[in-house]
Amino acid sequence: MNAPVANKLVLRRSYFEASARARVAAVLDAGSFREFLPPEASEPSPHLAVLDIPGAFDDGVIVGAASLGGRPVLVIAQEGQFMGGAVGEIHGAKIVGLLRRAVQDKPAAVIFMADSGGVRLHEANAGLIAISEVMRAVLDTRAAGVPVIALVGGSCGAFGGMGIVSRLCSAIVMSEEGRLALSGPEVIETVAGVEEFDSKDRALVWRVTGGKHRYLTGDCAELVEDDAASFRDGAIALLSGWQKPMPASSTLRAEQARLTERRQRFAGLRDGLDVWQALGVAEPRQIPLMDRDSLVALKKGLPA
Amino acid sequence: MNAPHPAGAWDTRRRGRQQRLERAAALGLARRVEAPRVGELLEAVIEPGDRVCLEGNNQKQADFLSETLADCSPERLHDLHMVQSVLALPSHVDLFERGIASKLDFSFSGPQGGRLARLVQDRQIEIGAIHTYLELFGRYFVDLTPNVCLIAAHAADAAGNLYTGPNTEDTPAIVEATAFKGGIVIAQVNELVDTLPRVDIPADWVDFYVVAPRPNYIEPLFTRDPAQITDVQVLMAMMALKGIYAEYGVKRLNHGIGFDTAAIELLLPTYATELGLKGKICTHWALNPHPTLIPAIESGCVESIHSFGSEVGMENYIPARSDVFFTGADGSMRSNRAFSQTAGLYACDMFIGSTLQMDLAGNSSTATLGRITGFGGAPNMGSDPHGRRHASPAWLKAGREAGGPNAIRGRKLVVQMVETFREHMAPVFVEELDAWKLQESMGMELPPIMIYGDDVTHIVTEEGIANLLLCRTPEEREQAIRGVAGFTPVGMARDRQMVEQLRQRGVIRRAEDLGIDPRRANRDLLAARSIKDLVRWSGGLYAPPARFRNW
Repeated sequence: MNAPVANKLVLRRSYFEASARARVAAVLDAGSFREFLPPEASEPSPHLAVLDIPGAFDDGVIVGAASLGGRPVLVIAQEGQFMGGAVGEIHGAKIVGLLRRAVQDKPAAVIFMADSGGVRLHEANAGLIAISEVMRAVLDTRAAGVPVIALVGGSCGAFGGMGIVSRLCSAIVMSEEGRLALSGPEVIETVAGVEEFDSKDRALVWRVTGGKHRYLTGDCAELVEDDAASFRDGAIALLSGWQKPMPASSTLRAEQARLTERRQRFAGLRDGLDVWQALGVAEPRQIPLMDRDSLVALKKGLPA
Repeated sequence: MNAPHPAGAWDTRRRGRQQRLERAAALGLARRVEAPRVGELLEAVIEPGDRVCLEGNNQKQADFLSETLADCSPERLHDLHMVQSVLALPSHVDLFERGIASKLDFSFSGPQGGRLARLVQDRQIEIGAIHTYLELFGRYFVDLTPNVCLIAAHAADAAGNLYTGPNTEDTPAIVEATAFKGGIVIAQVNELVDTLPRVDIPADWVDFYVVAPRPNYIEPLFTRDPAQITDVQVLMAMMALKGIYAEYGVKRLNHGIGFDTAAIELLLPTYATELGLKGKICTHWALNPHPTLIPAIESGCVESIHSFGSEVGMENYIPARSDVFFTGADGSMRSNRAFSQTAGLYACDMFIGSTLQMDLAGNSSTATLGRITGFGGAPNMGSDPHGRRHASPAWLKAGREAGGPNAIRGRKLVVQMVETFREHMAPVFVEELDAWKLQESMGMELPPIMIYGDDVTHIVTEEGIANLLLCRTPEEREQAIRGVAGFTPVGMARDRQMVEQLRQRGVIRRAEDLGIDPRRANRDLLAARSIKDLVRWSGGLYAPPARFRNW
């Protein structure tokens, strides 16, 4: 009998499996969410209609205002279960509009629940333009002094353009189940061959793109359990201590230098296991089985 | 060899056995045989026309002995009559294709079902009968006693004592029937050790053993990844728990191996506990060590489990929970298919499982055209044993629902749990089972029906529960089945008025009749949603096979 563990497991509500609306309901203060462009005011994608593909009334993203731990926030939640959360013209326009409102209203933060494989290819240039506008809008919002917090723990992860958008955010809260990268595993395998990357090797995919890897390499600020309440707690914890300065060119240069150095240091390593070893983890094979708290403790003990 | 006693000779089997042993001795073969010489041994001790039991269990397979027998010369060995539980390996079928064996009595063929059907149609094989496990074990002791058995064990010591370990399965039944009726027992083992953890089969019942070139094959048959359980299966599990488990107070039971029942196992620590059912249902089991039962065990919902066999990955968990599982003094589990099937038949109040097809009489079958798959143990557990005499609240309640307050016997609950459509939108509910066409094309004496309709007490689908115990006429029974058959053609053809009357009487109950809000039916209710969750629940003791890992 292992009662404390048992209770924790029973009470968990998977963020990974939840719909965007369920995430909004569980992460933000109860009953505080007010949707902009609710179902009756939104419209589905005209591009999908032309292709005879069923659309969604919200085009796969929910935007609105809410409070989080009592602070006013604006919210974006992508629905991974509609077309893999892909960003089309209307989907992108809703996000950009929300971010522009954030520049005006100056909420405590924008909470961006990313769950997307990137650009919606069906919409071609309109989708590409949409996602580049989202990138610019994220930077504008940060420049206006409003932190943008990305939550990455959905079943589609954050790939392609949404991988870039997530890294442009002020900070990322991620679960082990979440994945974050530029090219998705299937894309790499298709382009470079299965020898380069076996997208069916799920364990490898998570060792290279998953939350634990991103946490150890410093790409996400907080690692949380796959539980909506943990994402909530993680985001609140980040915001309550928020003192990060607005990005200045000197900090951007320093970050660029850090990433360049990291790229050289890990060049040629082909697996998260190798990277973790290079980071000074004594038993990299134990990492995938560790729970969140043990991994956070382990990271604290790593050489800087 | 299997002829009646010639006049005045009463020990032909014993003398025959002696001759066989002498032939082996003449070749210089001792009790421990080297792997390359096993073919010689088999040709020396087996005679044409012999009944040979090849240990093919649900999980553990005597694969090396099977391959070696298939490679023997058909000139030396032919017309063998194979008696075995499970025909699972390609080499099992090779025996018939190569002319070494010609007759087969078995229980289950699973993956070899297609090849077996072709052999029957080509008349290369004569099937004695397709049994259930208990019937076949029973016949080992009546008229299908093996002359030679080829078995699998985990380890042997120098004397020939065997350790069968967690996967003991059918071995005791096979060896007992063979060794005590003048037969010859040959074992393949994975390793030879100085001291066995415990002795499962004593050396003087074993004539020869060989250390096989590779460990015997064991199939992880009972591992269901919680990630694949759907919201609809959660809804059905909620209905089953509230509408059947709770109502009858089912404490002693057996579960099938599908995702439907895995969902029930994963709701025991959550939904069932919330309903106050902990300790009132599902305390005693005849069940393989299902990994999906780990959360219920860890939550204190389960008191005892006796198993038919073991399950890959549960080796460390089971010894650490010896209050729950049957384990030896050495700590490791001891399974026994014959005893566990007996428990499932006579000592359990409920069997719940799934099927591929069901007709309007409630007969169900997993047979599909062009395949002969057999039954395994489901019909033993999924039947009402008329020989049962001891009472229990669940058994009495079911008996009185069927026979009125003065019923002189109870009833076992036999529950079929199915979604109305299976994959590729194939309806589960049909006017006529494929089993009938299969019977015709294979020239069988009976259609291969898995569970007879008159044994079925309840049907659970996403549309509701049909309680067949309360049906008083064949027409009511048919409409009760149609009434939960959803949008299948069978369900669409229901008599709506009669179905509504059955619902008024509680014969059919929908989720809302049971006070279940379908909106609550989602995967968040599962105590574990992934294999990794199961590992966490087990405190790291459960070690799933690689194919179930994504870490």
